[in-house]
Amino acid sequence: MNLRDDGPAGEPAAHPHRTVEPSSNGRPDAGHHPAPNGNGTSLPDAGDEQRLHPLTFVVGAVRELIALVAAAATGLLVGGLSTAFYFALTGLAVGLLFHVASWATFTYVLYGDRIEFRRALIGRSVKSIPRDRIRGVDITASLPHRLLGLAVVHIDAGADGGEGSLNAVSRNEADRLRGVLLARDAPAPPRRVLARMRRRWYVYAPLSGAYLLTPFALAGSLLGTAYNLGDDLGLITRERVENLGHDVVGLPTALVVALTILVLIAMPVMSVIVFTLFNWDFTVHERDGSVVAERGLVTRRSVSLERRRLRGVELADNPFERAAGVTRLGALITGLGDAAHRGRLLPAAPRAVAETLAARVVGDVPGPLVAHPPAARGRRLIRAVAPPVGVAVLALLAGQPWVASLCGILAVLAVPLGLDRYRQLGHATDGARLSVRSGSLRRRQVVVEHGALVGWRIRRTLFQRRLGLATLFAAVGAGDGGYAATDMAEEDAVALAAAISPAWVTPFLEVPPEPGR
Amino acid sequence: MRRGHHRDGGESHPPRLRPPEHRVSRRAIAHWAIEYLLLWGLAFGLAVGVAAWVGDSGWSGMPGWLAGRIGWLPYVVGAAGLLMVTVAPVWRYRVHRWEVSADVVYTRTGWFSREWLLVPVGRIQTVDTEQGWIERMLGLATIEVNTASHVGSSEVSGLPVDVATRLAEDLAHRAHDLRDDAT
Repeated sequence: MNLRDDGPAGEPAAHPHRTVEPSSNGRPDAGHHPAPNGNGTSLPDAGDEQRLHPLTFVVGAVRELIALVAAAATGLLVGGLSTAFYFALTGLAVGLLFHVASWATFTYVLYGDRIEFRRALIGRSVKSIPRDRIRGVDITASLPHRLLGLAVVHIDAGADGGEGSLNAVSRNEADRLRGVLLARDAPAPPRRVLARMRRRWYVYAPLSGAYLLTPFALAGSLLGTAYNLGDDLGLITRERVENLGHDVVGLPTALVVALTILVLIAMPVMSVIVFTLFNWDFTVHERDGSVVAERGLVTRRSVSLERRRLRGVELADNPFERAAGVTRLGALITGLGDAAHRGRLLPAAPRAVAETLAARVVGDVPGPLVAHPPAARGRRLIRAVAPPVGVAVLALLAGQPWVASLCGILAVLAVPLGLDRYRQLGHATDGARLSVRSGSLRRRQVVVEHGALVGWRIRRTLFQRRLGLATLFAAVGAGDGGYAATDMAEEDAVALAAAISPAWVTPFLEVPPEPGR
Repeated sequence: MRRGHHRDGGESHPPRLRPPEHRVSRRAIAHWAIEYLLLWGLAFGLAVGVAAWVGDSGWSGMPGWLAGRIGWLPYVVGAAGLLMVTVAPVWRYRVHRWEVSADVVYTRTGWFSREWLLVPVGRIQTVDTEQGWIERMLGLATIEVNTASHVGSSEVSGLPVDVATRLAEDLAHRAHDLRDDAT
């Protein structure tokens, strides 16, 4: 049921494996035909117009089809051959027609130096993506796509190249396109699996808050859809909603308690199910000079991250995950949109596995981390405690003792939080990579290659100056743009920057009072 | 823990950054003062309005001790504004410094909190000069040095126009020659 079975491993001939070489920046010029792959599959002649797969409009219309068929059926059941039924039928016909028309008018052309998307439904538009700007090619296949042997190809070309998607082409064509678009000039070694999710890791899902809440999000959107659909068909009236409300209020307490317990039990189970849906058989492998992450049960998603743009990793966890020794691994990629989702390298894995993968992708995680001076502890404490205390004081002044005492409790709880935030502060470098760590409820440890740094920023507030502290920001053209080593000793901040990039910093150091030691 | 790690390599003095070499133009003080004056003038006007409105409406939504003293609001805002207009620009002038060495742009900005920024010329993507209307009046310009990261992008305001223009051109040329923007 997954892509790899019918994918490149099965028929290597169809997939030109290439590596990225540093020199491959200089891509073939316009008009230059990419060399034949030398393994049987030749590229189409430049300028060949290609259409999406003919079955595309079937998939495209499937969603509307299901919704509209359901609506039409409901309409038929409730009101017989009512207006709603004809309305739904018309909608169905128009939708199908639209999908057929957009299939017929959309073509894509692969040239030696660019790929063009042409649309001619209403007005003409040509979108062109230069091939040397292409940073990643993702292949996604939802359930209907997979049933029909189709896949969606998403091409990402960073900020200056734009993006485009082919929805949808055949599986083989998708793999061929990825091979061709990411192909560079030398044959690549066969792909190598870097990491693969194990069965028992799925139970880590409830540890992360996001997956615990997804069932609610799903239920909410389902209810919303049902309501809208019912509303459109006139099924929802004021009385019915009111009756439902009365019914809910009138439920016996025991039943409510039982339902609550049921939901509480269901939450972790649901979170594991949702997690499994998204992250089934999460596999990271290496090919074509890219790191490819594949995941998903129903919709199988594959994201290629170009290796030379992968400048670091991020290890994130929360206190529960820390207690279980679990962490999430993400990639820092230059010029990748939606990096939080697409740069994911491991959803939840034992720390040792995550660190091994990190080492394979960018290099060893530097360690052990150097703790920050004790003066930083006071700052973390004050920062954690001050907001609830402030609100408590305001609430007291405003005569709201309840709010004030609630904030008081929060302030007490903030003490261990502040202490832990201090404990988590740290930095380290091993001569090739810099690592900084901060945060408690969401702890992040970032590892960045020295070569990815684009500058240093040192910030000292008045309070920091009095304590001899400074915050050092390593500016990086990937991820968040910069990562902070919060509250380092002032001279350590300068020394760290100077140690990592002596050429940038040493010219601006104070000359020691007496030369030589 | 403070000094106890190997990275210092046995250096006997703690490394410290020296201030960048050049100050910005003195006219920058006037520029910042005008900016603060406009901003705090507006805040003062609002404060007067709020105080008058609350006093008239007899609104009971706030505790009595505050309602009785609402007339103080404009004075508090006015005093803070006066302090900002007189102290902050001079303070900023004393802090703001810049220097461009062979391959690094080094700036120090801020007043209450200070920031030192080191940007290698090779990592620069764009260099912009900008002039607001106050700056145009005073013959000043702001130069913006942008890298692939907003954290690593710096802004030097209060430079004389000719210096800013020359610097921007020079930086753009050298950035082009040395370009390796780490993306």
